[in-house]
Amino acid sequence: MRFLVELFASLVIALALGLGSAWYMVAAPRIGYAIGAWKAVPAVSAETADPYTRARVARTGEIVLGAGEGLLFIATHDDDGRDLDGACDYRIAGATPTARLWTLSVVDAAGRSPASVTGRTALTSREILRDAGGRFEIVVAAAARAGNWLPSPAAGGEHLFLRLYDTPLALSPDPSMEMPRITREACR
Amino acid sequence: MMRTAAWLLGALLLAGIVHIVAVIGLPRYAVNDPWREIGAIVGDDGFAPLPRAVPGERSLPGLDPAMVHTACRFALDKGPVRIRAETTDGYWSLSLHDRRGMWVWGVDNRAAEQKPIDILVATNVQVAQLRESLPDEFEDVVIVDWPGSEGFALYKILLSEASRRSEIEAAAASARCTTTPPS
Repeated sequence: MRFLVELFASLVIALALGLGSAWYMVAAPRIGYAIGAWKAVPAVSAETADPYTRARVARTGEIVLGAGEGLLFIATHDDDGRDLDGACDYRIAGATPTARLWTLSVVDAAGRSPASVTGRTALTSREILRDAGGRFEIVVAAAARAGNWLPSPAAGGEHLFLRLYDTPLALSPDPSMEMPRITREACR
Repeated sequence: MMRTAAWLLGALLLAGIVHIVAVIGLPRYAVNDPWREIGAIVGDDGFAPLPRAVPGERSLPGLDPAMVHTACRFALDKGPVRIRAETTDGYWSLSLHDRRGMWVWGVDNRAAEQKPIDILVATNVQVAQLRESLPDEFEDVVIVDWPGSEGFALYKILLSEASRRSEIEAAAASARCTTTPPS
């Protein structure tokens, strides 16, 4: 009797630990480095992708940036570690690592682009205003702003996607690179 | 005490096996199949636009809302597939993905140096046949050795300014993918 109880308990522990840890590794990009609040999602190619990335991509069905294309950074929280919230405004300031082009977009927790009167869903390095030193400030807010403004969802969780196209960073990661800071401003 | 430790050790070992089997096995039983999904949106008649990231609506996951996307899914069982497209001055990228959506091959505007896209995707066997007698018209065509027999091409162009939308959409609409019967 004791043997059966122990066997059963061990099997339950093994299943829970095994499936739980597998789910943890696959539910979100875990492999890769972080710079500030930005988590780098490793560039993926069919030949070199690790099993966790393969499983994650198979689960979400997402179209990932390829190894030669560029690099994706995702931010789910601000520099102080608080989750990004549509009810708050954020200032994204600084500079990005070298890239021929970058785009910044914001999506809600379900991955949808927020509605906005201007139809704007992304900002690119080609169109933003910069200061004399080449640095920029972008405001992510639900209400329209002058200057570099990216519309965000009016409420609920949100994620920021920074895609660097054609960047040397994709092939040789450098966690000491400067990434824009994310600071929370007023909340409603 | 020893007995509990032995059971726990056994449980940990088994947990490791479960972890590995779950991660490796997931792609095989995945519910999301980008190849099928693209087929449902685009069909099998060459390139068609993927839904733009219209505010409030979800497009295919992972697409950059700053780009215009057009896709074509292909199968190589009837012969190599030739992919051609006009290009624009701004940023564009053509990538080839396998059934699972994994990136296999790509070219962007810098690598292509303003030339139109002209590539031929072929299986190992078809590449070998082509090498033996390459038709003249394929002389300047980039030949991509394709693993497996199915995949899809994704052509994305940066929507740099709203005023250039029609020019950019014309380039996207110029994309063709056609099965080229082996000669």
